[in-house]
Amino acid sequence: MAHPHVEPPEEKEPLGFLFWICVGWIGLNLVGAIFANVLPLQNPLYQNYTSINVGPSLHHLLGTDDIGRDIFSRVVYGSRISITAGIGAMIIGFGVGAPLGMLTAYRRGRFDTMVTTVMYALLAFPGIVATIAVLSFWVPRDLFKIIVVIGVASIPIIYRIIRAATLSVASRDFVVAAKVQGASDRRILFKELLPNVAPILISFLLIGVATVVTIEGALAFLGLSVNPPTPSWGNMINEARTVMAQNPWLVIFPSVALCLFLLSLNYIGDRLRTHFDVAEVKL
Amino acid sequence: MTTEASKLLVVKDLTTTFATLAGPLTAVGGVSFDLNKNETMGIVGESGSGKTVLSRSIMGLQQRTNVTVTGSVLLNGQEIVGASEKVKRKLWGTEVAMVFQDPMTSLNPVMRIGKQIDEALRVRLGMSRADAKARAIELLELVGIPSPQRRYNAYPGQLSGGMRQRVVIATALACTPKLLMADEPTTGLDVTIQAQILNLLEDLKEQLHMSVILVTHDLGVVATRTSKIVVMYAGRIVEMGSTREVFAHHRMPYTRALLESSPKITNPSHTRLTTIPGRPPNLLKLADGCSFAPRCAYATERCHVERPELTPAGQPGHSFACWNPLTSEREVVVA
Repeated sequence: MAHPHVEPPEEKEPLGFLFWICVGWIGLNLVGAIFANVLPLQNPLYQNYTSINVGPSLHHLLGTDDIGRDIFSRVVYGSRISITAGIGAMIIGFGVGAPLGMLTAYRRGRFDTMVTTVMYALLAFPGIVATIAVLSFWVPRDLFKIIVVIGVASIPIIYRIIRAATLSVASRDFVVAAKVQGASDRRILFKELLPNVAPILISFLLIGVATVVTIEGALAFLGLSVNPPTPSWGNMINEARTVMAQNPWLVIFPSVALCLFLLSLNYIGDRLRTHFDVAEVKL
Repeated sequence: MTTEASKLLVVKDLTTTFATLAGPLTAVGGVSFDLNKNETMGIVGESGSGKTVLSRSIMGLQQRTNVTVTGSVLLNGQEIVGASEKVKRKLWGTEVAMVFQDPMTSLNPVMRIGKQIDEALRVRLGMSRADAKARAIELLELVGIPSPQRRYNAYPGQLSGGMRQRVVIATALACTPKLLMADEPTTGLDVTIQAQILNLLEDLKEQLHMSVILVTHDLGVVATRTSKIVVMYAGRIVEMGSTREVFAHHRMPYTRALLESSPKITNPSHTRLTTIPGRPPNLLKLADGCSFAPRCAYATERCHVERPELTPAGQPGHSFACWNPLTSEREVVVA
């Protein structure tokens, strides 16, 4: 039956069960964040003083906080702010930092020197201090402004990493080879350099989203994020610190939500990188 | 004797200078030669003699701000020195192409090899996707890659070094260049593969009517495959001529020393290889005299103060730069 010259198909390691669990979890988070107001959730702002600091039960899946608000509902609503901040800020940061880093690393010369000098000067500022300073004066604060400020503050860091990654690729002979075949600069940037920088770009993007979620939490702690009582994972953790001894669930649940979200993102990124990596020779 | 029309490449007084922090560094100094159509030329010299800088200058690839290239490189009548990027892009691929030294870095690791070949075809020759693919498979077959249809979809990481170098050659040949520059095309490969690749280049040169410039430090490589040899030392041509002449009647002691330092099959076993004492000069501090004088057994007072120019030897085309040229009877004494 079998043809004698049939080649075995290219074997690829399957992505694995855990990968799909992580994808499912991220999907669930996104659905929760997007449809929080249509889902059958309790009002995250409603204070029920008859049930304060109760543990998980059927009525309150994750219990209630010190003023009787449903924690489950607050965690789901909180993901809205956290995830939007994380993704939004990285869109700004990577949207500006990544193309600029690739371009300067490829072209070099005076333009590169100028941009890099400016970026390093910006890096000399402690990012979090600059963020706090701007947010203190830019009122009234809303999610959009927070995203813009964190996003802009991340540009120099992203620029530096993408530039370094591109530099190491751009100095390889295949770039010169493409050039002497008559490839245009745009073609070299998109077809030769980008696929080589992509793995670094994607893993850093995922770490970036995770970092922004925690930065938003830090800002919330200083009262510089969205105003309470609007929940976000960050400000829930920070608010709960004061009552941690009486009701540890209050810190644990949003922290677990944050951890699982970030772990899933990182695991997905890592699996995708190894799955699509063709540069590493497999023995 | 050849007429002007049959000359594909005319290099005149080509000089490449790098502006370094320590002052100007002349990597290629006043090089002139020409190359006929369908001719293979070898450029030999030890590491740091300016071979690679010379070949990149001929391609017009030095575009960093700290490099100045003067002189003239006429490729098929088109001046390359000082030409705009746009003009050079038109020449690259179709007029002149390059095979790089290291097949491990000269292929994009994340692009299928077929794509790397047919990119050039589609961009430069405006071929359709299907035509380009068919041509790329033809090219893979031409460079001796077994089952090219299947290899078309392979990534460079899935091929051996020799296979990769064949792919590199295929990409260089994609737009049928008139001149192929091969900068040490076999350095990264083992000896049996080296011979295969060199024979392949020779066959392709015949089939496609190309001219080839073979840059190497290995005289064995150029001995049988070139019709003309240029010997470089410290960025200058010290001897050039037909391969037969250079091997049989070389006049420059450096050429002799190079020949002496490669092993010969006729030597008895355990013969100690002759080495050239000292090391190549610092190009930043070149003396006024002959650059080879400090290492040369025949150096006289004059060699240290006055630079010898290329002077014609007996045979047409053969010239050398030496004040105390060797004669066939004279034995070289190095070390």
